[in-house]
Amino acid sequence: MPREARGAGSAAGAGSAARACASELAVEAHGLIKQFGARRGLDGVDLAVPAGAFLSIFGPNGAGKTTLLRMLALLSRPTRGSLRILGVDALEEPDALRSRIGLISHKSMLYGDLTARENLEFFSSLYEGEPNRERIDELLRLVELDHRANDCARTFSRGMQQRLSIARALVMDPDLVLLDEPYSGLDPHAAELFDELIGRVRDGRTFIMVSHDLEKGYQMCTHALILARGQVVVCAEKDQIDAGAFRDLYLATVGMGVA
Amino acid sequence: MKDIRAELRTREMLTSMAVYALLVLTIYGAALAQVGDTLQVIQFAGGLLWALIVFTSLLGLNRSFSHETESGCLEGILLAPIDRAVVFLAKATSNLLFLAVVEVIVLPLFFLFFLSGAELAATTPMIALPLFVGTVGVAGVGTLLSTMTIDTRGRDVLLAILFIPVIFPLLYACVSATTVAFLGVEGTFGTFWTSCAVAAVYDVIMIATAWGLYEFVVDA
Repeated sequence: MPREARGAGSAAGAGSAARACASELAVEAHGLIKQFGARRGLDGVDLAVPAGAFLSIFGPNGAGKTTLLRMLALLSRPTRGSLRILGVDALEEPDALRSRIGLISHKSMLYGDLTARENLEFFSSLYEGEPNRERIDELLRLVELDHRANDCARTFSRGMQQRLSIARALVMDPDLVLLDEPYSGLDPHAAELFDELIGRVRDGRTFIMVSHDLEKGYQMCTHALILARGQVVVCAEKDQIDAGAFRDLYLATVGMGVA
Repeated sequence: MKDIRAELRTREMLTSMAVYALLVLTIYGAALAQVGDTLQVIQFAGGLLWALIVFTSLLGLNRSFSHETESGCLEGILLAPIDRAVVFLAKATSNLLFLAVVEVIVLPLFFLFFLSGAELAATTPMIALPLFVGTVGVAGVGTLLSTMTIDTRGRDVLLAILFIPVIFPLLYACVSATTVAFLGVEGTFGTFWTSCAVAAVYDVIMIATAWGLYEFVVDA
């Protein structure tokens, strides 16, 4: 469904019913390869993520998780393979998709010397020409930073910066939200708040998260994937996975071994 | 706009560039302390002025991009559906503005320290033209090169290694035009206009190249 048809919606989102994709798959990838010189970052990745799913991607360092996520965020092009996101060919029409994809990273992507409101206004203006002030106010309330809206982002704690990052990523009401190690540097309480916020903004959106935290990532997901050496080891719906066996497979993959 | 707003709040980049420029002026002062005859200084004042501008620019360009990388902000911008060339233009414009502000601060001090005793030629105000053309080129080329070196180890040194050879034709032309304007010798104005024309052509070619290459640089 085109963005225009979704309506203004609330800060949390336009509603799951309105988010139905032209395709039932939010992400459909075939044979994704990313070559870095002689090394392959991704080696023939196939992926099918249903619309509205929460996919957690696990794997050891260097497995290609961030490479895959950057590709899904349209920050990097595959060397070979095909990629459709939200029913659109991502390699042919990336600009048609950019305003439908949000990215929350371990880096805040915020300007420390701008206030929370100025940051959101800046990023909103990149998508809409003029900042959508009504939506920015709603997002600031949603992430409970409305009382600090006029304070510089550098004065925020890591947890507050990550909450503001959520608002930044949602400023254009995306259908697909990508999370790259979002728990890095968060204390348990901030991580709990982050989870609660993500739960509040799910709203029919598709989420894809890269995480090293198996417990948290598995708890949040509807689908789970293990990536190793640029290849998919396993990808399945959580309901069809034996949690213990998945954990063992993950530990074996990261080289920690199981008895 | 956000660069200007952030800079007005912190004054970090302008302050560091201005302080650095003052320190370079101080070193010039020490180096030239034994040269009593200011008329001799005016012979190479154009070169001194441009060395000051180039080194101060290098500092500013590095600082300008450190803000974009330290929290992944450049990636945040690249997520948006905007032409990469527009990102280049916006960044180059803000760099140009900051360089111009620093030049406005430093130029009077340069004149005060080194040329106050000299008899200035009536053509001295003409240095505005090579200064403008040169600063545009420095900002344009510097923006491209600092984006290329943004994620490299030892980016400060690498930027200088790339920047100075690439801007050498521009630097040569601007020093030549500035020196002619300072000296104001009859019959040398052909050199002034030729140098300014060379600098302007350099700007057009390099900025058009940077504009075209920027997408490949940021997406690499």
